[in-house]
Amino acid sequence: MDLSLSPAQQILQQSARTFLQQRCPPGRVQELALDPRGFAADLWKEIATLGWPGLLISPELGGSGGSVGEVLALVEELGRACFPSPFVGSAVIATAALAAAGGRRARELLSALAVGERICTLAVLEESGQLDPDALAMPVTAPGRLSGSKLFVPDAHAATDVIVLGRGPAGSTALLLPMDRGGIEARPLDCMTGDKLFELAFTEVDTRPEDILGAPGGGWALLGPAFRLGALARSAEMVGAAQRVLELCVEHARVRVQGGRPIGGYQAVQHACADLFRDVESARWLTWEAGWQVEAGRPDVDAAVAATKAYCGEAALRVARRGHQIMGAIGYSEEHPLHLFHKRILAASLDAGDAALHLETVARAIGLS
Amino acid sequence: MDFGFSPAEQAFAEEVRDFLRAHPPETFPEDGTDAGYGSGAHSRAFTRALGEREWLSMSWPREHGGQARPMMYQLILLQELAAAGAPFGPLPGCLQVSDSIIRNGSDALRREILPQVARGDATFWQGYSEPDAGSDLLALKTHARLDGDHWVLDGRKIWSSHAGIATYGTVLARTDPASTRNRGLSMLMVDNRLPGMDVRPIRSLTGQVYHYEIFMDGVRVPRDWVMGKPGEGFSQLLKGLDTDRFWGRFYKAPFLRRILGLLVEYANTPVQGGPPLARDAAVRRRLAHAATEIAALRALFHRAAWLIERGLPATGTVSAAKVMADELGQRVLSLGMELLGPYGVLRAGSRWARLRGEIEHQYQTSWGHTLAGGTSEIQRTTIAVRALGLPAEPRVRA
Repeated sequence: MDLSLSPAQQILQQSARTFLQQRCPPGRVQELALDPRGFAADLWKEIATLGWPGLLISPELGGSGGSVGEVLALVEELGRACFPSPFVGSAVIATAALAAAGGRRARELLSALAVGERICTLAVLEESGQLDPDALAMPVTAPGRLSGSKLFVPDAHAATDVIVLGRGPAGSTALLLPMDRGGIEARPLDCMTGDKLFELAFTEVDTRPEDILGAPGGGWALLGPAFRLGALARSAEMVGAAQRVLELCVEHARVRVQGGRPIGGYQAVQHACADLFRDVESARWLTWEAGWQVEAGRPDVDAAVAATKAYCGEAALRVARRGHQIMGAIGYSEEHPLHLFHKRILAASLDAGDAALHLETVARAIGLS
Repeated sequence: MDFGFSPAEQAFAEEVRDFLRAHPPETFPEDGTDAGYGSGAHSRAFTRALGEREWLSMSWPREHGGQARPMMYQLILLQELAAAGAPFGPLPGCLQVSDSIIRNGSDALRREILPQVARGDATFWQGYSEPDAGSDLLALKTHARLDGDHWVLDGRKIWSSHAGIATYGTVLARTDPASTRNRGLSMLMVDNRLPGMDVRPIRSLTGQVYHYEIFMDGVRVPRDWVMGKPGEGFSQLLKGLDTDRFWGRFYKAPFLRRILGLLVEYANTPVQGGPPLARDAAVRRRLAHAATEIAALRALFHRAAWLIERGLPATGTVSAAKVMADELGQRVLSLGMELLGPYGVLRAGSRWARLRGEIEHQYQTSWGHTLAGGTSEIQRTTIAVRALGLPAEPRVRA
């Protein structure tokens, strides 16, 4: 057992923390959150020069071939800074699916993703809102015509490419399409979390055989593991955001004086802060343990990641909600960053499978018939 | 990061499992109740069986008869015993006391006590709390004065686990009558058989005896049966507190995983020809939810173990893990009572009792856990002040 960060993870964590403190302070996060079309193209270019979008891409395609642990170390920092970006969607989930699919187009796109030239989003969810291949109805044929709507598609305004998962003749099938293919329209969904979510409407979109990602009928085989990695990354993001809420609350409790002493000297506030610490630490080590299981290729990773995502969502939301009580009225204002973290945690808890989905995976894993 | 065990550690875990298969835990007679922490009942026979395997002393330095095995071996041993539901109730106390004797004890104490611990012959009770000194331990009144080669001990201790069936107690007493609060206290090793000892059982709400009240009237304790320097008993106790709390609780995670397994088994069983409870979406979700919390608790305890092993500050993590273990235990057992419905209250051995009546007993014991070993309130204050750096509440002076 060795629960310390590797030297590479430590360097990544430190450089990410420094970069984000300088280039993405809460004011910038706020500005991007309030702008319905907010996307920090400048920051995306800068993180590309730092190699972040290529972290999971192999060196021969221009990436750095990093480990799951490095992704967790980085994404925890992204969460701690509440960094608004398509990172988890494009650089984790889509990247993992493209890498698993292989083939000329996927490799070309990965090379472009690695240097930040392109961004890839995912069009999976439909009206049911469920991340479940059996819940997907959009018919997919290639060659053919694609029509229908996908919901909750992240960052469609910034993306250059999209992976569409639908139902093909051979079962769930993934297509890789450029966003500028005729007939694709991105309609923004007005969303309280500050995330940029879209309805992606497909009208008679021309599909070609080479658009199929992986094998026909093998769409979920590609995207299932990719979303599993995404669920793990979202867990780390929630841990990072919850860690920052804990820090904000403890700092406030130290300096805010009422009744002649800091409010952190009163047991009611002390005990609330202690609960935040418990939630952040337990979520963090569960996440790292699941990351280790994924990396070590252990057989029970589906259940481990599902348990992690469900637990982190619950624990981090508890931190954010309790944080409002500790922070008092100032935390209710738009200018205070607390609500940004709260909303980021809420968004992350819903992405890559919500609690209901993951708890059902856990229910089967513990042997419920 | 590596959350796994080394091949040698895995081989040891397999050795423990082999031992448990060859010696099924339920075949050992129990002589004291199971208090529900996950360490099972007090069984002297089982403790001796562990002694025969030389597992009680394996982490001690070689010069004291041990094998100098790293802490992870102890963790693996207790984890496997808890997963099997073995009666190793006295073991955490033995580990803590022997560790303290090795670090702080006199040669006389080492010579006398350590071989008994290694064989499984000695078990221990803690004499800390008093009727008027609970969370405010420093209000204790028990005192001892030197008389020749002996301490003469007078006072009263309460809530001492298994004191009536254990062999020795570690008693915190004021040895400097001029001192106040945290100075002038000493930790004495007291033999239960000494004249002047009166150990009286307290029946708990479970209907069984776990705690005792101890009356000490002029008990003569050998002068060198003091742990560490006289007068420094409290700072010594504080130094060992993180490890004490860790070894007192960390097997709660495998224990709760075992309880959850029982509840899953129950939920899968068809009820009078109808569908099993497991088909109910709410039941599925609540059991799965408990499984995620147990997994998180286990990860938190492993983090605490790693911090302790590396000698890094662990106070906040250990206290957080204790709070979580005890409150989660109450939630899991409460869920068990709810799933069992009217069967939940039937005691073990009763006609129609389900799951061997274990849920009923463990449900009741769980209400003591957020009190014992430092209440959840004390733990939260510890986290806030010592780990998060919040200011301590001002003390009201009497």
